[in-house]
Amino acid sequence: MLAWIARGLHKRIVTSRYPRRPEPLLPGFRGRVEVTDSEAAPAELEEVCPTGAIRVASDGRVSLDRGRCILCGACVAADPERFRFASDYETAARRRGGIVVGTPVQRELEALRLPLGERARPLRRSLHIRHVDTGSDGAEEWEIQALTNPYYDMQRLGLYFTLSPRHADILLVSGGVTRAMEEPLRRAYEVMPEPKAVIAAGTDACSGGFATEGEVAGGVDRVLPVDVYVPGSPPSPIALLHGLLLAAGILSEEAAA
Amino acid sequence: MRPARRTAEHAQRFLEGRFRGAIEQAPGGNAILRLPLSALDRAAALLSAEGARFISVFVAEQPERSLMAAFAFRGQVVSLRAPLTNGAASYPALSLHLPGAQLAERELRDREGLTPLGHPDLRPALRPDVDGFEQRITDGESFVIPYGPIRSGIFEAIQHVVETGGEDVLALETRPYFKHRGLEQRFAGLTPERAVLVAERVAGIATVAHAIAFSEAVEAALQVKAPEQAQLWRVVHAELERVANHLDVAMKLAEDAALAVGVARFGILKEDVLRLRARLCGSRFGRGAIRPGGLATQPLLAPDELHRWLAEFERELVRDRRLLLRTASFTDRLIGSGHLDRDTVERLAGVGPVARAVGISTDARFERPSGAYARLGFEVVTAEAGDAMARLEVRLGEIRESLHLIRQALDRLRRLAPTQLRNELPAAAGAAFGWAEAPQGELVYWTELADGAVSRVHISSPSLHNWPLFVASFRGDVLTDFSFIEHSFGLTPAGADR
Repeated sequence: MLAWIARGLHKRIVTSRYPRRPEPLLPGFRGRVEVTDSEAAPAELEEVCPTGAIRVASDGRVSLDRGRCILCGACVAADPERFRFASDYETAARRRGGIVVGTPVQRELEALRLPLGERARPLRRSLHIRHVDTGSDGAEEWEIQALTNPYYDMQRLGLYFTLSPRHADILLVSGGVTRAMEEPLRRAYEVMPEPKAVIAAGTDACSGGFATEGEVAGGVDRVLPVDVYVPGSPPSPIALLHGLLLAAGILSEEAAA
Repeated sequence: MRPARRTAEHAQRFLEGRFRGAIEQAPGGNAILRLPLSALDRAAALLSAEGARFISVFVAEQPERSLMAAFAFRGQVVSLRAPLTNGAASYPALSLHLPGAQLAERELRDREGLTPLGHPDLRPALRPDVDGFEQRITDGESFVIPYGPIRSGIFEAIQHVVETGGEDVLALETRPYFKHRGLEQRFAGLTPERAVLVAERVAGIATVAHAIAFSEAVEAALQVKAPEQAQLWRVVHAELERVANHLDVAMKLAEDAALAVGVARFGILKEDVLRLRARLCGSRFGRGAIRPGGLATQPLLAPDELHRWLAEFERELVRDRRLLLRTASFTDRLIGSGHLDRDTVERLAGVGPVARAVGISTDARFERPSGAYARLGFEVVTAEAGDAMARLEVRLGEIRESLHLIRQALDRLRRLAPTQLRNELPAAAGAAFGWAEAPQGELVYWTELADGAVSRVHISSPSLHNWPLFVASFRGDVLTDFSFIEHSFGLTPAGADR
C-alpha cells in the first residue's frame, strides 16, 4: 500500500483549476462548430448537414442547432468560409434555444419555471448527481465517469455522484430516450426530492440522435423538463462540468457567454 | 507464407470436397455456399464440427433475398446462403447445433419474422416483455433481484436479474435490451460517407473499430482499396482505442477493489490516451477520423510527436502495471472469479479477450488480417486460467502489443512520401463483409450497397456474442464478485443492443 501512496505522490498535481481558471484548450479539439458568417446563405446549405442541424431561413440567415450537431465537420469541409471548429468547452445552455447559434434567444421561455439558480441556491457546494443512461452509445458514460478522475476531480467543487435518485439533486441523462427507458427515467425523476434539476448530456440527449423512427422518443425534454442542455457527441468532461456548474447556479450563463 | 493464407487454402479444399457445386464466387475471396433452407442447419453443424466459429445469422437482400449464416473458418468468412422464397416464415434452428447462435436467432425473429424451429428460447430480444423471470416463484430459500436498468454507478442501461439465497449467485439472466435504437435500419439510404457517422455511434467506446469494419465492408463491396498511409493511420487509431478500453477495464477493476490510488493512476493513463486522440483527430473517441475509401482528414500529429508521447506514456504505464499486479488485495479478488472453461467458450462462440483468456488464440487481426495488419507483426496474447485475472492479464499484454503495433505503423508512415489519404468510391452496387478486432472482440459488418447508397447493414457485435459467456461464468461466485466479473468482461450494452 505504501508503494501506491508513493506512486500517487510521484506525479505533480494534474487537476484542472476550472472554473477559477479557464481550462487550457486542446489544439485541434472539436469542441463546437461556430458560424462565422450567417448572412445570405443558399438554401442548399441545409443539405450539407447529415443530422439536420443547419437551417437556412427564408431571408438567407443560417442557424446551427448544436443540440443536433454531432461535430462531424461536413459543414466545415463544405464551406470553411462560413463554419469552423473551435476548441471551446463552455457549450452548455439553460434553454434549448440557447444551443442554437445564429438566432436571437427567446428569453421569455426562462420565466416559465422558477429560475434554476434560485432553486439550486440551497444546494450549493454539495450537490448529488444521479446519472441515467436512456440509450446512449456508451461514450457519454466514459466522459461522465472521467469527471471523478484526478484531471477533473469534480468532488473539489462539491459535486458528488450518488447511487440512488432518492438522494439526488441533479439527474444527468445521457442518450436519446428509447422506448424501454422512458418509464424507468420518469420513475427516477419522480422519486427525486425537490428542488431538482435535469441535465441532458450530449447531442443524443438534447435531440434524440441517430435512431430509426419509433424506437426513440427523442431528446430527454420529450419526457422530462430539462434545465441544462450540454451538446456534444459526446460532450467532453470539461463541457459536462460547465453544464453541472450552470445547473448548480455556481456559474451563470451570462458570465460565461 | 503467413499461416492465415495456408489455412485459407485448406479451407478451400475442404469446402470443395464437401460442398461441391454449392460454392459461389464471393467478394474478397470469402466463400459463400448456396444451399436450400432445409439444409442450412446440417451444413452449419458440419462446418462447426470442422472448427468453424459461428459469427451471425441474418437476412441479406443481395444477390437475392436469402438467409445467411456466417462463420469464421480457417482464415475466411464462410457463409451459408439459403434463398428465401416469398412465403418462407420458418427454418430449422441453428441453435440446436450451435448454442452460440441463440441470441442472433432471437434477434432475427424479432426483426424479420422468421421463426427458428426448435429454438429453445423464443422470447423477444429486441423488445422484451419486462415480466417473466422476476415473476418466477422461488422455493422460499432464495429471492430474485432485478438489478437495473438504472444501476448504482455510471453505467450503461442493462438489467441483470440475479437469483440469490443471500450470498451465492444461484442464477443470472442478463438483458442487454434497453437501448434499442434501430441503428442497423438507420444506415439504409445513406451514402457511405454519411453512414459511417452512424457506424461510429453504434458503440461509442469502439467508435474506430465500427468505422473500420464498416468502411472495409464498403471498400470490399465496391472493390476499392484505401491508400497505404490511410491503412497505417487506421491501425494507429484502432490500437489507441484498444489501449483506452483496456485501461478502462483496469481502472474499473481497481475501483471494485477500492484501490483508490490505482483508480486514480489508471484514470490518468486513460485520460492521457483520450487527450492524445483528441490532439490526433479532434475527437477523444476517434470520431470523424475514418471514412470509407481511406481517412477523412490528415492526422494533426506527426509520427515523431507520437513516438515521443508513446515513450513517456509507456514509462508510466509499466510502473502502474507492475504495482497493480503485485497488489495482493487486488489480485485475490480476481483469481478464480468468473471462471470459464475452453469448452464453454468454444460452444458459445466467444470472441475477444474473453476467448483468449481461456487459451483460444482467436483474433481477427491475425486470422484474417485486413488493411495494414497483414504487414505488421504482433503476438496474440493468451492466458490459460479463464478467470477474471486471466482476462486482465490478456488485456495488459494486449496494451503492450498495441503500442508495438502503433510504433511499427509510425515507422512505416515516416518513410512514406505524403499522398492522398482517400480514394474515391464509385456509385456502384455490391455486398461484402468487413471486420475489425474491436477491444471487445471480433466485430463483423455485412454491408450491401446500391446506386451509391447503403441499402442494408447487419452488425455482428462482440458484446452480443460474449454476453451468454458472462452468464455462464457464474459458477459458485457470490454477489460481491459481481462487479469484478462484469468489468473483467469489458462489454458494452450499446454494442449488444443496436
